[in-house]
Amino acid sequence: MDDDSTHELPPSDATRASRRRFLARASAIGSAAIVGMVGVPVLRAFISPGVAAAQGTPWIKVADDIGTLDIGTPIKLDFIEERSDAWIATRTLRTVWIRTEDGATFTAFSGVCTHLGCSYFFEAEKKIFHCPCHHGLFDGTSGKVVGGPPPRGLDTVPVKVEEGALFVQYQSFLSGVPDKTVV
Amino acid sequence: MTIAPDGMHPDDTPVTDESPRGWLDRRIDLRGMKQTLLDRGVPGRLTWWHTLGSATLTVLMVQIVTGAVLATYYSPSPDHAYESVQFLQRFVLSGALLRGIHAWGASAMVVLTLAHMVRVFMTGAYKFPREPNWLIGIALLILVLAFGFTGYLLPWDQRAYWATQVGTSMAGAVPVVGSFLGKLLRGGSQIGAATLTRFYAIHVFWLPFSILALIGVHLLFVVRQGIAARSADMQPQAPAHTTDATYPTFYHRAYAASKRAGDRFWPDIIAKDIVAAVVVVAVLVFLGSRYGASLEAPANPTDTTYVPRPEWYFLPLYQLLKFFPGRFEGVAVVGVPALVLLVFIALPFFDRRSARTLLHRPIGLAAMVILIGGSAVLMGAALRDVPPGSAPDLASSGLSAVERSGRATFVRQCASCHVVHGSGGDQGPELTEIGLRHSSAWLHSFMENPKSFRGSDSKMLSFGPPALTHQGIEEVARYLTTLRGVPGQNRVPDIRDTFPDLAKLGLSVASTGAPALPALRKPAPVTK
Repeated sequence: MDDDSTHELPPSDATRASRRRFLARASAIGSAAIVGMVGVPVLRAFISPGVAAAQGTPWIKVADDIGTLDIGTPIKLDFIEERSDAWIATRTLRTVWIRTEDGATFTAFSGVCTHLGCSYFFEAEKKIFHCPCHHGLFDGTSGKVVGGPPPRGLDTVPVKVEEGALFVQYQSFLSGVPDKTVV
Repeated sequence: MTIAPDGMHPDDTPVTDESPRGWLDRRIDLRGMKQTLLDRGVPGRLTWWHTLGSATLTVLMVQIVTGAVLATYYSPSPDHAYESVQFLQRFVLSGALLRGIHAWGASAMVVLTLAHMVRVFMTGAYKFPREPNWLIGIALLILVLAFGFTGYLLPWDQRAYWATQVGTSMAGAVPVVGSFLGKLLRGGSQIGAATLTRFYAIHVFWLPFSILALIGVHLLFVVRQGIAARSADMQPQAPAHTTDATYPTFYHRAYAASKRAGDRFWPDIIAKDIVAAVVVVAVLVFLGSRYGASLEAPANPTDTTYVPRPEWYFLPLYQLLKFFPGRFEGVAVVGVPALVLLVFIALPFFDRRSARTLLHRPIGLAAMVILIGGSAVLMGAALRDVPPGSAPDLASSGLSAVERSGRATFVRQCASCHVVHGSGGDQGPELTEIGLRHSSAWLHSFMENPKSFRGSDSKMLSFGPPALTHQGIEEVARYLTTLRGVPGQNRVPDIRDTFPDLAKLGLSVASTGAPALPALRKPAPVTK
């Protein structure tokens, strides 16, 4: 079957040769079109993570109405932090302690003790934050260490008021180290 | 051929050619390869139908490339499969488009493979000497369908889950080895995590390797044997049967003559193939971007109201099952596909007449019309059974034509206020069990004039003519009587019909001369 499977072009047959040149060129253009139509979206999808806008730490609403928050006494607010690792969403219960002296400017302390990560509480009569695990003590106003083993004061997280509601930008920090380091 | 016994071209490529091409040519004989693969002569006047095979190959390549990207963003676990597909659709650049192309590409694979097969059948190209490639083609068709079946589950949405439930239960209906087969497919007794990884591995590893290997052989045979000539060229003066001793000699002479009068594979045939491929890929990209691929609610194994619906190319088989009740289902599941498969396999060995054009093969023509026509009829019936957008209910199977028509009217006119099997509006009472409480006569009468039953403060609208015809109302009433709660529970209706006092309505039997009670009404004629 191989005997005549190749056709030598008669050299004089110029039209045939030019037709074949045209077909070869058309084939090249067509192939490029196919590669382009499929290749462009494929490449876009593949490089997608590289060009996607970096997602900043989200603002989480912790109180609907700042008017309901006590003045002068820190209050504890629990909320759900949603984090997503691509398609895997995790929901974690988080805590911040909110303090305000004037009902307009707020301080938010992460609810995690800087020593080993326990949850602390507020002792109203002594005006201190008290971590029951190893009795770390923090000033009830500034959050500075006033006793016990914690290596640094309470960690503050960014807080803002928008349309009467309170938002925090929750972050987790390394515990047990003197410097405030975002995890 | 000009290939020397050692496969080299010492004469053609001067040793002084220092270009990379010359260097490579002296080692692997590029020219020889080009002559064998590209400069082949092909029979003349090949049709556009001859581009179907290469178009299928092109779509397969598209599937492999798009599938590789989909796999990059996919997690084959019931916990995350759905979310990962959602992530792809929402957050990955061109993600939805690629998923659309891949889903439409799956349908295109089936369509093109079948069309290619029909072309080969119509032109008698499965006859001597191409019986082996016909068999490989059948295996390729099976692989393509297996791709579709396994890929369908991966998004792990309702459609995926329930279609696979049906598909794997079908395997379970096979006599004797059914339960083994079902467990084998599902990776256990239930559809779950093991099913998903199993389908994923089959879809992404086993099938691609298998199909590429088989296509390699398929193409190798095409290169060795050449593309089949037009059937008309292979008939004049042919011996009556392909098994005749003189047939091979005749064949090779006729084929060689057809090739001499023909074209060269490159670029004549390839250019045509590429034109067809560009059209097919453009259509896929259009469909993928315009319609995308659907993603329904996440799979919910406890939802008994979902109407499972396999992918369209399995619908004829799905519909066929409805004709085989109970224990005969297994016969249909194995028997019918096995029979079709057996006919396909036996075809080139059974049909040994040398006639190749379809007009000279009345039996072949008839068989093809019956097979394609039968599949089309079954598919049409399956599509009509569950009209798109209808209120899903499992009780729909087994409805008569009148009841189905009533259900269609119900979906249009009533479902915005009434819930049936979990879907519908909440303005009016739920009707999932209405058939247990009222007769069709009462329902007909009520729909026609609800105020006469419930007083003028009834929120129910009157659907008497002209809103609906009497026939339309009767169809809806008949449909409503089939609603008896959870399907299959076989509860006995406990009819509590009370009709309004005729005198209050100002009607009397004597004055109208017609029976005023719908209960006496002659039922609307049963029409198709």
